[in-house]
Amino acid sequence: MRRQLYAAAVILTALLLQVTVVNRLHLPGGHPDLVLIALISLALVGGPAYGAVAGFAAGFVADVLPPADHTIGRLAFVYAIVGYAAGLLEDTEERSVVGAVLAVATGSAAAVVLFAGVGALLGDPRVTTGNVGHALLAAVIYDVVLAPFIVPLVSGAARRVEPAGVY
Amino acid sequence: MRDNRRARVILAMLLLTAFTLITLDYRSGGGGPLRRIGNAIFGPIETAAADVARPIGGFFGSLGHLSSYKHDNDKLRRELAAAQEQNRLHAAQDAELSDMQKLLHLDQRAHYRMVAAHVIAVGSSLGFESTATIDAGSRDGLRKDQTVFNGDGLVGRTLSVGPSTSTVLLANDPNFAAGARLERSQEIGIFSGGGRRPMMFTLLDSQGAISRGAGLVTFGDIGDRPFVPEIPIGHITDVQPPNGALTRTATVVPYVHFTSLDVVGVVVAAGAPPPRDSLLPPRPTPNSSSPRPSSSASAGASPTTTP
Repeated sequence: MRRQLYAAAVILTALLLQVTVVNRLHLPGGHPDLVLIALISLALVGGPAYGAVAGFAAGFVADVLPPADHTIGRLAFVYAIVGYAAGLLEDTEERSVVGAVLAVATGSAAAVVLFAGVGALLGDPRVTTGNVGHALLAAVIYDVVLAPFIVPLVSGAARRVEPAGVY
Repeated sequence: MRDNRRARVILAMLLLTAFTLITLDYRSGGGGPLRRIGNAIFGPIETAAADVARPIGGFFGSLGHLSSYKHDNDKLRRELAAAQEQNRLHAAQDAELSDMQKLLHLDQRAHYRMVAAHVIAVGSSLGFESTATIDAGSRDGLRKDQTVFNGDGLVGRTLSVGPSTSTVLLANDPNFAAGARLERSQEIGIFSGGGRRPMMFTLLDSQGAISRGAGLVTFGDIGDRPFVPEIPIGHITDVQPPNGALTRTATVVPYVHFTSLDVVGVVVAAGAPPPRDSLLPPRPTPNSSSPRPSSSASAGASPTTTP
């Protein structure tokens, strides 16, 4: 229970920081995805089922959080898959930062491609090759830069919140 | 890799739910009640978060300066920090004030009834949308599809309105389109945001005269919604050759800086339209370069050739 509350707090903070601070910074190319990094950090500790549920919840809130304007359910779909996949990597107690960074890099790329793929199926005019290429490059680079700071922080606290495998 | 089967069942159910959500929202054309509920629930939280985030952002910005004073004594350092903080606040307030003044200046000439608001959030996690949340909603008289502008010109239109916050579709979004008129002439056409590509103006008359540097204003819609007339949009930078197409297209550089939006106004009631071209900024001289570096990738957006 405490772990769920902790996850909700982390994800809500990441969501709010994303739209009120990160998206307003003038970064070349694109923006890091704080929600995705937080989600992967949580899933690495909690496992696949936990990751999928956390991802779905985070994605659904991101879908309705103003000023979002894409089809509701798209981010829920993408983050559920990414959360599940990151959860599959959970088996040792302490992970190396390198492994976590690799997970974030793969997750970022997969998230952009999946999100754009669903958008293309729905005929979203915002999905163009140029847009996707830029977003892909920017997301992977910025997320990898931030991952070594955020992942140990969020994962470490998640381990302390509810130690010894309840899951 | 424990209870992997359970996890897979959970994932399958979640994905099914997500697909159901997507289908429902897609079929209802988007902008359903969930958006309004989202604005109602998260709007106030975002407003509070933006209030907290503003000074924090400033703090990180000023850290670089503070570090060089570490050899000074404690008192001096604290005084300096306080003074710098004051200074920074003044600078921020000055910037906001000048935004406000420009907005009021434009509004005074236009005689529109407007509601002023702050931009509190931008974009979404992964989305490619160019949207913003502003801290004014239905309580302030805002409704869906109203013109949003600032002291420089057209910012966008309201997309969904909650009690105290609203979502604005910015004019540089690929989904954005507005009727537009060329300065001094009667030539009308359609202005559309391009996302990462330059914004385009499509002239409906293929024989129409169109020249570089000409200003573009909104044409206005029936009942002044979503757009009131005469709001400056931008100026023409590059005219594509006609190529036998039915329309002519030109790239547009907007007057508004979409990366640094702060104070905006929303037109809640329009009076008589202002005199033609009265709101446009002075025309840039042809030999001086455009006021801002246009992202002139020229983007292979060739005009559609349908002879």
